[in-house]
Amino acid sequence: MFDKVLIANRGEIALRIQRACKELGIATVAVHSTADADAMHVRLADESVCIGPPAAAESYLNIPRLLAACEITGADAVHPGYGFLSENARFAEILEEHQITFIGPTSEHIRIMGDKIEAKETAKRLGIPVVPGSAGAVTSEPEAMKIAKAMGFPVLIKATAGGGGRGMKVAHTPADLGLALATARSEAKAAFGNDAVYIEKYLTKPRHIEVQVFGDGQGNAIHLGERDCSLQRRHQKIMEEAPSPALNAGARKKIGETVAEAMRKLKYRGAGTVEFLFEDGEFHFIEMNTRLQVEHPVTEAITGIDLVLEQIRVASGAQLSHQQKDITFSGHAIECRINAENPRTFRPSPGQITYWHPPGGLGVRVDSGVYQGYRIPPYYDSLIGKLIVHGKTRNECLMRLKRALSEFVIDGIETTIPLFNELIQQPDIANGLYDIHWLEKYLAKP
Amino acid sequence: MTAKDHGETSGAEQRLIRELAELLNETGLSEIEIEKSGLKLRVARTLNVQSTVAAAPAAAAASAAAAAAKIAADPAKHPGVVKSPMVGTAYRSPEPGAPVFIEIGSRVSQGDPLLIIEAMKTMNQIPAPHAGKVTSILFDNGQPVEFGEPLVIIE
Repeated sequence: MFDKVLIANRGEIALRIQRACKELGIATVAVHSTADADAMHVRLADESVCIGPPAAAESYLNIPRLLAACEITGADAVHPGYGFLSENARFAEILEEHQITFIGPTSEHIRIMGDKIEAKETAKRLGIPVVPGSAGAVTSEPEAMKIAKAMGFPVLIKATAGGGGRGMKVAHTPADLGLALATARSEAKAAFGNDAVYIEKYLTKPRHIEVQVFGDGQGNAIHLGERDCSLQRRHQKIMEEAPSPALNAGARKKIGETVAEAMRKLKYRGAGTVEFLFEDGEFHFIEMNTRLQVEHPVTEAITGIDLVLEQIRVASGAQLSHQQKDITFSGHAIECRINAENPRTFRPSPGQITYWHPPGGLGVRVDSGVYQGYRIPPYYDSLIGKLIVHGKTRNECLMRLKRALSEFVIDGIETTIPLFNELIQQPDIANGLYDIHWLEKYLAKP
Repeated sequence: MTAKDHGETSGAEQRLIRELAELLNETGLSEIEIEKSGLKLRVARTLNVQSTVAAAPAAAAASAAAAAAKIAADPAKHPGVVKSPMVGTAYRSPEPGAPVFIEIGSRVSQGDPLLIIEAMKTMNQIPAPHAGKVTSILFDNGQPVEFGEPLVIIE
């Protein structure tokens, strides 16, 4: 087991990692920018190292500074959290070269799944159903038109270096294709430094259903069920639930086993999430995230398994703590991502939290690094906390969520809590009848 | 000051307590608390010295005293302060055994090397951002430093 883990992240996930390390008796190092000197996890960590000014490129994304921090503190492992360098194959590689363990998969698997075309090819080879689309990158409009007409419009043009919902453009008809292709290419170049794009069939009312997997790197892998993350705004998830209201036990077992078997063949190590679009009973692979996800707590709620603890154990060479037959699903869980944003315009609202009172009680969990008096820095994303509720049934869970939201007080800034209050009143949400376009349609209503 | 013993207090710890007490007087602070390697010490002006000893190697006492010497918050705000631009290990001289770059009282011109910060086997000379006289050296030879840490004051 590791002696000292360096937490290469910030905010609520850094606190999450800090907690898991403490429960394993591991010393922690919190690296932070000058803007995060007062962060909760920095205060709680055993050691802290300021690694740069607020800009992520000079701090949380700065590999030399992170390595120097490992060096001066003697950290023997790094947990990258999510975002930042968590899916940076080069970072994983450099750490391995310095004999520091990267808590996550091998750099090779990060690289394979980071390139969306190669990820899709790999998924196909491993027996995972994929979205119909181009065989590889599309370089010319005539080529794109040929593929699109063969599949049928509408089609989606996606950046191969994209991911996380970014770098995608829809072409509804042949007339739209030229412009969509050109725009996708130039946006991809600007955002990811790589203008390679591919084409997929655009599904009109799919649900986003993802499966949590865990591997030990030796050919053993299990699945921990699925999460439904269809409620999205601009491809960003805002509310997630497990299990998905759209799947029955049979469908769950089937897709879970398909994905777990694929991970066994791949000899995947650590936590991963395989994301699908699910329409008309069919699963279509879109991408795999080779890291912990923001919404992991809903899986923890229904399985009773601490995913970060497992990540650390597996990274230190231990076997998986559970076999597939040990995994059981109990009850239902929902997570709301609380952002420091106006609940209607979504304009960011940094500032000082003058009053903070989170909800409590049975089945209520709040993962947040903020506290009363904390100043939210304007330099990073607006997620300030996650509210996760668990109930024996989906209805009990919804009642509990309503109750918990009504207790939650955050003064001094605007938050998206009012939006969640509205959403849980909507019959479609109460009945679990929504797809990935539902939220944007709802928000577009006057 | 009275000492409440929760166990045996070694000679090194007594020296440490004395040093902290002197520091209190010199700096005008009312309370100093340090924790390192199982030793937690709090020295306050209100006549109660409490020490909780789990295990206290002498080495921990020496470096804890050095850490206590940096408690004063003012250096970071001094107009002549030179702060670390990187994370690494700070050295006073260009190589082991060589003379130090600067001492207290040294006069430097803009651009003169003040110290070296080593990170991952590369040595980085840190130059004086302005000319003047070195009035404070805020780090020990071989001390790990973080971004923004005050290193030297040049007035």
